[in-house]
Amino acid sequence: MPELLNVKNLSVSFRTPQGEVEAVRDVSFSVKAGEVLAIVGESGCGKSVLCKSILKLLPVTAQIKSGSIHADGMDITSLSEREMQKLRGRLFSMVFQDPMTALNPTIPAGRQIAEAVRVHRPRAAGTEVRCRVESLLTLVGLTPEKAQLYPHQLSGGMRQRCVMAAALASEPKILFADEPTTALDVTVQAQILDLLREIQQTLGTATVLVSHDLGVVARAADRVAVMYAGKIVEIGTVEEIFYDPRHPYTWGLLLALPSLAREGEPLYAIPGTPPSLLHPPKGDAFAPRNRYALAIDYEEAPPMFQITETHFAATWLLDERAPPVESPVKGGFYG
Amino acid sequence: MRRNPFLYGLQKLLLFLASMLLLSVTVFYAARLAPGDPLVAYYGERAEKLTPEERTQAEERLGLYDPLHTQYLRWLSNALRGDFGMSYKYKTDVLDIIGKRLNNTLLLGGTGFVLIFALSPVLGILCARFEDRPLDRLLCRAGALSSCIPEFWLSLALILIFSVWLRLLPSSGAYAVGKARDWGDRLIHLLLPLTVVVLSHLWYYAYMIRNKLLEEIRANYVLLAKAKGLNRRQILLRHCLRNILPPYFSMMAIAVPHILGGTYVTETVFSYPGLGALSYESARCQDTYLLMALCLFSGGAVMLCGMLAQAVNERLDPRIRPGGGMEVDHFG
Repeated sequence: MPELLNVKNLSVSFRTPQGEVEAVRDVSFSVKAGEVLAIVGESGCGKSVLCKSILKLLPVTAQIKSGSIHADGMDITSLSEREMQKLRGRLFSMVFQDPMTALNPTIPAGRQIAEAVRVHRPRAAGTEVRCRVESLLTLVGLTPEKAQLYPHQLSGGMRQRCVMAAALASEPKILFADEPTTALDVTVQAQILDLLREIQQTLGTATVLVSHDLGVVARAADRVAVMYAGKIVEIGTVEEIFYDPRHPYTWGLLLALPSLAREGEPLYAIPGTPPSLLHPPKGDAFAPRNRYALAIDYEEAPPMFQITETHFAATWLLDERAPPVESPVKGGFYG
Repeated sequence: MRRNPFLYGLQKLLLFLASMLLLSVTVFYAARLAPGDPLVAYYGERAEKLTPEERTQAEERLGLYDPLHTQYLRWLSNALRGDFGMSYKYKTDVLDIIGKRLNNTLLLGGTGFVLIFALSPVLGILCARFEDRPLDRLLCRAGALSSCIPEFWLSLALILIFSVWLRLLPSSGAYAVGKARDWGDRLIHLLLPLTVVVLSHLWYYAYMIRNKLLEEIRANYVLLAKAKGLNRRQILLRHCLRNILPPYFSMMAIAVPHILGGTYVTETVFSYPGLGALSYESARCQDTYLLMALCLFSGGAVMLCGMLAQAVNERLDPRIRPGGGMEVDHFG
């Protein structure tokens, strides 16, 4: 499969009065046509910033410090706002975390979808646009009558479906979904995830799914990237990440899952808190919370070690000189 | 949407009439209970030289001897028949006096209001479109300066420049003697006061629009609009502007009486015969019926504008429309 999106050594910083916050540090990954890549990590690890920096939706205080972004064979790293406007919606689009505020409250949902249809087809006739809106609504599982309703007349799940319809209006090749289910209740979460998967299969849209919920990821993704403190620490297929995790942070995340906890024992939690990205620590940012940390972790950041063709992890434990450590994660997630 | 327009109108009308009644009671009692002598308004300086018999006679003739509520009810029954009483000072029907001044104030305040109403969104949108760029900064500085200069100082400065030094424009009045019907002459007299009214209010509203727009453009839904491929101009005009219009309209509706009657200072400096000066005068010398008519007029204007603003808001923002927020479908 051809690579649709290729991000190389991307670093994004925010200028703040206190100094520079390095939200994304030296991140590389790629997305192939039609696959679902999940990006997981705890709050503030740079998942959302990474996505928004690719679409250039970040406020002016954010800046791409280094690296390159290639999308659909084009170098889009330093495109102007005007050129980005032509790509947004058509090449890639985004679904946001909070469907409650992602729609304009004073415009009927259907018109907000129609607007997305018209952006890249300004000469489309009224009936044509209406047909397209209806088919989009059907695609996301809503009845066409919902087009007339205002956002406040729709439930959270319905709003998220409308947001998805608007994001898919110009048939983007890549859909970024930034925690699309976090603000919804559990039963609706599953429906939205299934819908994402279904759309991805019918339209062949490549999807970048940002989440902090490993359950969500297991259900929807083909490949998983684990982020910590602005870096990707491990990336691989769903099977590799859940059955053969190599990075101690991934172990911690999997151990903290309620479905892996043994009855009667307290749920595992990774000790400590993530570092401030205002002055990221030297060496491996996870070292202070890592009980398998080696001396070198405090000195030098580990490189990406390749495990299989698709599986990479950034931990010194994979160096041939490191002492052998057995993964504490046993059994596997699906059990 | 799902409401009977007739019932809605009737409800609003009743509310309006009740408010007007309450306002008239308040103003009447406040004016009558305030210290002062209505006879002074009627007879001027001579009131002090009246003999006690003449006083009694005069008070009886003006109906000042009856209990306050009788006087009020008499006024009310006359007012309902269209007779709002007589001014003690001018000895004519109060409506005539107001009518003569109203045109002048309407011309100054009305034109000023329309200009402010139309220009402030233009300025606000320009500033928001080019946020923090040279144009925005220039407008912000100039605007802050213009709204900081007091009206009377600006008036005097303009008179000094355009009337005294350049001798281009007249310094006072609404028209030259004998030229009341000459619109060209009126316009020339209007220019300076109008400039003051517009300059001193314009930036306040333009800046409000600018800031509200900048607040809106940081809202979450703007991200989706951007992700769909819309540009900043489209987002500002189609999404953000629409969302800030309801508060803008309410604000402008409240600004109507403010700008219309609040040209007091300007009217005074330019000796412009408008309603502002008249209200002050009638309150000062206990000209009760004239004061009541003026208060009812401006109060009615405030209420009408408020209702108009609400009606417009309800059309623009579905969430405050009666019955519009009720049927939430909870199956997602």
